[in-house]
Amino acid sequence: MTRLLEATHLTAAYQTGGVEVRAVDDVSVHIDEGEVLGVAGESGCGKSTLGAILSLTARAPLYVESGTLVIDGQSQDLAVGSRIPRTWRGSVVSLLPQGAMNSISPTLRVRTLVYDVMRAHNARISKNEALDRARDRLKELELPVRVLDAYPHQLSGGMKQRVVTIISTLLNPRLLIADEPTSALDVSSQKALIDMLKQMLEQKIMSGVVFVTHDLPVLRTVSDRIAVMYAGKIAEIGPAEEIATGPKHPYSAALLNSVLVPEPAFRKKRVRGIPGSPPNLANPPAGCRFHPRCGLVMPDCRTKEPPHVGDELTFSACFWSAQHPGEAVPADKAVPRHIDDPTELDLPAAGATPAHAATTEGANA
Amino acid sequence: MQFAKYIGRKVLWYLAALIVALLLNFILPRLVPGNPVDAIVSNMSRGGGATGEQMKAVYNNYMQQFGLDKPMWEQFLIYLSNLAHGNLGTSFAQYPASVNKLVGQALPWSIAIQLPAILVGWIVGNLLGAVAAFRGGWFDRGAFVGSLFASSMPYYCLAILLLYIVGVKLGVLPISGAYSFGLSPEPTLAFFGDAITYWWLPFWSLVIVFVGGQAVGMRSMSIYELGADYVNYGRGLGLRDNRIVRYIFRNAMLPQVTGLALSIGGIVGGALITELVFSYPGIGTTLFNAISQNDYPVIQAITLIITVAVLAANFLVEIAYGLIDPRIRAAQTGDR
Repeated sequence: MTRLLEATHLTAAYQTGGVEVRAVDDVSVHIDEGEVLGVAGESGCGKSTLGAILSLTARAPLYVESGTLVIDGQSQDLAVGSRIPRTWRGSVVSLLPQGAMNSISPTLRVRTLVYDVMRAHNARISKNEALDRARDRLKELELPVRVLDAYPHQLSGGMKQRVVTIISTLLNPRLLIADEPTSALDVSSQKALIDMLKQMLEQKIMSGVVFVTHDLPVLRTVSDRIAVMYAGKIAEIGPAEEIATGPKHPYSAALLNSVLVPEPAFRKKRVRGIPGSPPNLANPPAGCRFHPRCGLVMPDCRTKEPPHVGDELTFSACFWSAQHPGEAVPADKAVPRHIDDPTELDLPAAGATPAHAATTEGANA
Repeated sequence: MQFAKYIGRKVLWYLAALIVALLLNFILPRLVPGNPVDAIVSNMSRGGGATGEQMKAVYNNYMQQFGLDKPMWEQFLIYLSNLAHGNLGTSFAQYPASVNKLVGQALPWSIAIQLPAILVGWIVGNLLGAVAAFRGGWFDRGAFVGSLFASSMPYYCLAILLLYIVGVKLGVLPISGAYSFGLSPEPTLAFFGDAITYWWLPFWSLVIVFVGGQAVGMRSMSIYELGADYVNYGRGLGLRDNRIVRYIFRNAMLPQVTGLALSIGGIVGGALITELVFSYPGIGTTLFNAISQNDYPVIQAITLIITVAVLAANFLVEIAYGLIDPRIRAAQTGDR
């Protein structure tokens, strides 16, 4: 497999009222040709910020402090002050936002946006050529061509998201950054969108996808590799199945443990939350950022930056994995078991949701 | 089709509103205590020399002339039929001048100050507001505070200040009237050059206030739109900044269009006090004099023009809204 993208030493911070919140801290991402990289994590872990950096749409109050993007052998410095060519956005990397809301200006027809996008990258293109391109795409993906004449309010949420996806990929971008595209959709629209993205990858409309979401089951179906982020850093990254079945970082293990997946193997599974909450990124803990909530914490974790165990495509940033190479984290030890912790409880079988698990006062001792 | 039907329905509504307005317009001045003929006759009798018998004859003659001896409903019908013929009646106070002529003399002056003031103010104000929102920083703060100050100051205060500083203290521009004594309105360059010196002060006193109001509104609308998803998405697609600003402008402009149309509708009576301050011979001054003299036909004619202008402006706003915003058009035509 050839390498599509190398993004190295990405650091970006939100600067508001004199406080600097470093939402992405020295993160490096590598993506191969034809690959879908899923990015998972809790709210505020920096996954959307990573998406904004990679899609070159970081803007105040978010400032990129350092980082280099190498794509197709072309290198681009991302730090504030460097001149990023406007036409990279949309044609080299493209953003697929959560489009069910207001991604298309409410007073604009879809075809106007299509023409504006094509025109922004090729000043000489005629309106008909631009629209033909979009019509062909719509036909290939078996969507009605008449959506081009619609205003955004005339489209359903799922259709709007698919239309936005087509607009994002009009220029055949090398990399598509999908930031929570499925989050506002119902399950059938989610499936339709994911099928469409996969179809587009097969047709080589784009060469790679970064898929950011908090929805782990969706992530598992869509991604080849998954990066689990915690407090502005990548805790673990690796092939989707490996992460799902044998996580090597206590945080990924804990995260997976907090979600129910409707599969037979999960019938008798314990679902638990992760005690505590993510750290304040204005003042992150020293050493490994997960150590205050980790069940396998050891002295080094509190003071030293954890090593990356593995290679650049598959690694776990953890002292425990350094001592236990190749081993999966035992699921029940990933987070501490405190007697006074009400978030731990046994679930009898299917039927309850993780939300209940986190709020119900439990009877586990 | 749908849209034409919608417009047809609107036209009917506006016609109904116009008829109600006409009725009120007719009745309200007549509810004011006192009778214009009393005023005229008592003015005449002040000179003395006329006997009671003669006064009575004069009084009856005037009552007949103005049709005030007829019952109210008949007066209304006569009024309507005159209107239909484009005849606004005869002034009581400046008998026998026709109201058409009085209004026709005053209206161009009012339009000459206000239409440019409103258009310039609207364009400058909206650009200022949008740019302030886009640029941010000190420019934004300065523009915002300045606009807020200008828009919250009563416009007659600004008019008096300008009159005092520029007209009286500096003596740069004339302080009252619309053209120099001895000239008469005619389409020559000399007259135009003279009239424009009288025009500047009332014009500026209106423009400054109007710019302030528009800029404050546009700035907050633009700031709201700047945070919208489509702005970020447009950047992510590599659109040029000016294209994105155009999207923002179109969305932020909606409430501003209402403001523009309503101000244009209010031209006729909108600057009454400004005209009084500068003794400008516009419709405001005419209205003021007519009210003080109980001159029904003039009051009626001017309020009628105001009513028609406001109704027409509202009608145009509704049409313009439908053209700018497809969501409103959809709601209007009942089509999704």
